Amino acid sequence: MAGLIELSDISKSFGGSVALDRVSLELFPGSVHALMGENGAGKSTLMKILAGVHRPDGGAIFKNGREIAFANPREALEAGISTVFQELSLLPNLTIAENLFLGREPLGRFGSVDYRRMNADTKSALTDLGLDLAPDTLVSELSIAERQFVEIAHGIKADASVFILDEPTAALNAADVEILNRHIRRLRDAGKAIVYISHRMDEIFEICDAVTVLKDGRLVGTRPLSEVNPASLIAMMVGRELQDLFPERARTRGEVLLAVKDFRIGTATKPFSLSVHAGEIIGLAGLEGQGQQRLVRSLIGQFQPFGGNVAIKGKQLPLPVTPSSGVRRLRSLGVGYVPEDRKEEGLFLALPIAYNIAIELHAECNELSIARGYREVIADAMARLNIRASGASMIVNALSGGNQQKVLLGRYLAADVDILIVEEPTRGVDVGAKSEIYKLLRDFADRGGAVLVLSRDTVEMIGLCDRLYVVHDNTVVAEMPAATATEHGILDAALSA
Amino acid sequence: MTGMLRSPVVQRLLKVPPSYVVFALLLAILWSARPNMVNFNVMGIFIRQVAPLGILVLGQLLVMRVRSIDLSGGGVILLVNYFIASGTFPGARLPFFIALAIVIGTLVGFFNGWMVAKRRVSAVIVTLAVSIILIGIVQFLAGGSPPGDVPAYFGEIYNTRLGSVPTPVLFWFGMAALMWLFLSRTIFGRFVTAVGENAEAAYFSGVPVERTVILSHTIAGLIAGIAALVQTASISVGSVRVGLDLPIVAVAATILGGVAFGRGDGGVWGPTFGVLSFALLFVVMTVFGLPEPGKQIAQGVIILLAAVLYGVRTAKAN
Amino acid sequence: MRQFFLDIVTGQRSRQGLWVLPLLMALAIVAFLTVRTGHMLRPDNLLNLLAQAMPLIITAIGQTFVVLVGGLDLSVGALISFSTAILALGGPAWILIPAVFLLAGLVGLINGVAVARLNVHPIIATLAMQYIIVGVTLVLRPVAGGSVPRVVIESVGGTFLGLPMQVYWGVVVVLVAWKLLHGSRFGLHLFAIGGGVASGAEDAAHNVGVAVKRNVIFAYVASACFAAAAGIFLAGRIVSGDPTVGNGYEIYAITAVAVGGTQLSGGIGSLHGTIIGAMVLALLSNGMTLLNVSPFVQTAIQGGILLLVVAMQTRRKMGL
Repeated sequence: MAGLIELSDISKSFGGSVALDRVSLELFPGSVHALMGENGAGKSTLMKILAGVHRPDGGAIFKNGREIAFANPREALEAGISTVFQELSLLPNLTIAENLFLGREPLGRFGSVDYRRMNADTKSALTDLGLDLAPDTLVSELSIAERQFVEIAHGIKADASVFILDEPTAALNAADVEILNRHIRRLRDAGKAIVYISHRMDEIFEICDAVTVLKDGRLVGTRPLSEVNPASLIAMMVGRELQDLFPERARTRGEVLLAVKDFRIGTATKPFSLSVHAGEIIGLAGLEGQGQQRLVRSLIGQFQPFGGNVAIKGKQLPLPVTPSSGVRRLRSLGVGYVPEDRKEEGLFLALPIAYNIAIELHAECNELSIARGYREVIADAMARLNIRASGASMIVNALSGGNQQKVLLGRYLAADVDILIVEEPTRGVDVGAKSEIYKLLRDFADRGGAVLVLSRDTVEMIGLCDRLYVVHDNTVVAEMPAATATEHGILDAALSA
Repeated sequence: MTGMLRSPVVQRLLKVPPSYVVFALLLAILWSARPNMVNFNVMGIFIRQVAPLGILVLGQLLVMRVRSIDLSGGGVILLVNYFIASGTFPGARLPFFIALAIVIGTLVGFFNGWMVAKRRVSAVIVTLAVSIILIGIVQFLAGGSPPGDVPAYFGEIYNTRLGSVPTPVLFWFGMAALMWLFLSRTIFGRFVTAVGENAEAAYFSGVPVERTVILSHTIAGLIAGIAALVQTASISVGSVRVGLDLPIVAVAATILGGVAFGRGDGGVWGPTFGVLSFALLFVVMTVFGLPEPGKQIAQGVIILLAAVLYGVRTAKAN
Repeated sequence: MRQFFLDIVTGQRSRQGLWVLPLLMALAIVAFLTVRTGHMLRPDNLLNLLAQAMPLIITAIGQTFVVLVGGLDLSVGALISFSTAILALGGPAWILIPAVFLLAGLVGLINGVAVARLNVHPIIATLAMQYIIVGVTLVLRPVAGGSVPRVVIESVGGTFLGLPMQVYWGVVVVLVAWKLLHGSRFGLHLFAIGGGVASGAEDAAHNVGVAVKRNVIFAYVASACFAAAAGIFLAGRIVSGDPTVGNGYEIYAITAVAVGGTQLSGGIGSLHGTIIGAMVLALLSNGMTLLNVSPFVQTAIQGGILLLVVAMQTRRKMGL
C-alpha cells in the first residue's frame, strides 16, 4: 500500500540545539499511527513541521508522491492536514464557534461573518463529541477539559485527509477518552491517516496500528503495534534498560522537612496532607492538570489556599503567601523552587551561565551592596553538574537543552538549600543528561535534602521517586511507594477516587 | 551570509550602540563644514545646553532597562521650575530648592513605580497622565503666563567653569559615572538586568521584581528632580512650557544609545552619547540653516531608524 | 436573570468590556447638566455638543482598532493638525481631500510596518512618527491660517435635507467603523490577535491562518485614516489650517477608549464603548466649562480620569 504522507529525512534545529536529525515517517490511509518518545524527543517538532508551523532545515514532505512545502499552518490545512496542538491554542476572548472557524469564517451578505451558520455548525460538532455547550460561550468561561474538547472538535471537524492529535487526552478522564477514541475510529474507517501522540500506554495499545519511536531527535524505529509490548516500547523510548537510567532509591529517611496539613487549594476541594522527609524524593502524580502544579504554586502564593497549614523544617509558613515575594519567602526558609518552563520562567537566555547561576545568591543580598562574582561557587557548580560549555561566560541560549536544564538546577544547588521543589526536572532533555539530572537530585537527597517533584512523565516519576502522591481534582487521593507503582495503578487510583 | 552574521566579531559590532556611530558621523560633518567650531570652548557651550537632557536620560535608561518608561519628567521639571520662579516660598535659599526638587521628583517617581509595579498599569499611561496633571496644575497656578524670575544664583552657578569645562557638564558626567558604577557593581544592577531580561525568571530566582521596578522609577523621579534644577538654572526664568518634550527626547537618546526595553547593551555611556549626538545634531542643523521643524523631523527619523535597527536586531537574535 | 444583568453591568462574560458603567456616567452627567442649566436637552445644544465631540469620537474610534490588537497610536494628534494644514494649502477639494487620506494612509502604513514587521515598539514608532508629522506640518504652516475649501466648511457647518451635517458625519463614521469592527472578518481577526497578545497565545491566530501582520498594519492604517477624517471635520469648523489644533488628541483618544471599557492590553472592547467614552469626556468638559472650571484644571482632571480608568483595568503584564 502506498503511503499518503511521507516525511523524508527531516532535520530541524533551534539556535544551537538539534531538535530533529534526519527523521523519516510514512503515514497510511485508514491507519492510526502512534508517535512516541520522551518529552523533548522531537515528536511535537516533527508534527509542527508537518502542520506548517515550522519549516524544516533539511528533508522533504511528500503527499501522494508529490513534494509539498508549507509556508504557514493555513497552507497545511488547505493541503488536508489538520492538527490538534498540544499547547492549548484557543483564544479566550472569542466564542467557541469563533475559535472553531477562525481563519475560515463563513461570510454572509455584504461580507459580514455568518454567525448563524457558524453557531449551527459548531453546535452539531459539539454534540457529536457529546458536549452540551452553547457555541457562543466565550472560551475563557470553559474548564480545561472542555477547552481540550473544543480543541479536538476544532481539529477533527476539518475536511482533511491527515489528522494530527498531539497529546489530546492529557486533561481528559477515561470516559472522555472513550468518546475521543470512537471519533478516531470513525476517521480511520473513513480512510483518513491519523497521527496520535500520547504518553499513556493503554491508549496506544487500544487504538493504534503502528508506532514510531523518536529519541533525542533521531528515529529509533517504526513497528506494527502487534510486534511490540509496553516494556519493549519503553526500552525503545529510553534507549537503555530502565533500571540503568535511574539511580538507586533511598534506603533511609530523616525527619520531616516539609509538612502540608489539611490543605485545601479550591473552595470546594477536599483537604489533604502530605509530608516530605529528609533524604526522600517525593512525586506528585496523576492525570495532567489535576492540580499538581496548583498545589506547589500555592506554596509560593500564585494561588491562594483555602485552608490548612504548611510547616517547613518545623516552622510554620504564614498563609496565604504574598504572591510578589513567595519565592523569596520560601528561599529564606531553605526551599529552592525550580519552575517548569526553563525558557520562560527559569533562565535568562541572553545572559551568561555565571549570571544565571549567581542570581539566586545575589537575590539574598541587600540591593545596595556590592555584587560579588562568586567565581569559585560557579566553577564548582559547573564542575559538579558536568555542564558542557566553553566557560562560565558562555551565553545560556547557545547551550543544549540538557545543559540549560543543568544550569537551572545548578542555580538552586549552588544556593545551598535543604528542600527542592522541582517542576518537570527533565523536559526537553536528552537521555544522557536525564540520567545525570536524576543522579544529581538523588545525591542532593542522600546528603539530607528533600525533593518534591512533579512531572508529566509517569515513567520518570515511578523511576525517580521514593513515594508518590496521586493528585486528582485538586486534592491528594492516594499515596503509594514508587517501587511498586505502575502507570495503570496510578490512573486507577486517580479515577476511582 | 547567515554564517557571517553569527561570527563573534559581527555580533560584537552589531552591539555597538548606534549613538557612537551617529556621534562620530555628525562630528565629521561639523569638522568638514566648520572646522573652527570643533574646539573645546564652543563644544562646551553646546554640550552644556543638553546637560538637563543628559541627566534626565540617566533615569530614563534605568526605567527602560526594567521594561518601563517615564514620560513624567516634563511635569516634574515644570513644577520645580514654577516653585523656584514664582516666589511661592519667599526667602527660600538654594538648599531648600534642592531639597524641594528632590522630594517632588522622588514622590512622583515612587507614585509612578507603585502604579506600574503594584497596580500593573501601563507605564506610558501612568507617567503621561501624571505629566498632564502636573502641567495642568502649574498652568492653573500660573494662570497660563510665565511665573517670574529665577533667583540669580542659579544662573551664576550654571555659568561657572572648572578649568575650561562648564560645571553643569562636569556635574552631568559625574552623575553618569555614578550611575554606571551603581548599575555595574551593585546587587541592584543585577536585579535590573534580571527583571529586564525575563521578569518571570527573575521572580523564580528570588529577585524582588516589584521592588526593583518601584525603586527604578523612584530613582528616575529623583533624577528628574535634579534635571529640573539644572534646566531651571539654564533658562534662568520661570516658564509654563519648559522641558515638556525632554522626556520623549530622552527616550530617543536612550534608544539611540543601544538601551531598549529590557536590554542594556549600551550601558550608561551609549545613551550619554545619544544625548551628545542630539546636541551635535542641533548644531549641525543650525550650521546648515535648517529651521526648527527640520530638527523635529530629523529627530523623529533618527528615533525611528534607531528603533528599527534595534527591532530587527532582536528579531534576528530570537 | 440576575446573573444576566450582573454580567452586563460588570462586563464579564463578554468581550465588549465594561461599557455600561460609563454609559450610566454619561447619563448622570446629562441629568446633572439638565437640572443645572435647563437647556441641556434642547436640540440645538445637543447638536452643538455633538459637533464639539465629533473630532474626538472619530479619533477615538480609530484608536480603538489599534488598542484592540494591544498597540497604541500616539501620532493621531499630529495627524489631525497635519490634515488641517494640507486642506489649507489652497487648491481644489477633490485633490486635497483624497490627498489627506492618502498621506494619512501612508503614515499608518509606516507605523504598522514598523510595529508588525520591523518589531518596533508601538509607542516608539508612533512617537517618532508624531515628531516627523509635527515637523512637516510646521513647514507647511508655521502658524494658523490659510483657508479651507468651501466644500469642507459646508460639509461640517451646513445642513442637508433639514438635518445638520454633523449628524451625517456621525452616521457615516459609525457605520463604517461598525462594519469594520463588528461586521467583518477583519474586525473578528483584530479581536483574535489582541486576545492572543493579552493571553500570551501570540501564535494561536497565526497558526489557523489569520494574517496577523497584515491585519495589524491595517489597524494602524485605519487609525490614521480616522484621524485624517477628524482633521477634515476640525478644519471645516475652524475654516483654516492650524499646526497645533490636534495637540493632545492622542491622549484624549486613548482616555476615551479606556473610559469606554476597552482593555489596553488588547482583545476586549467595543465601538459603542468608545463612543460612550468620548461622549463622557465631551460632557465632562462641557459641564466643567459651565461650572467655570479653569481650562488648565480641566486638563489636569482629564489626566486624572485617564489615570483612574487604567488603574481599574487589571492586567498581568508589568511595565509599558
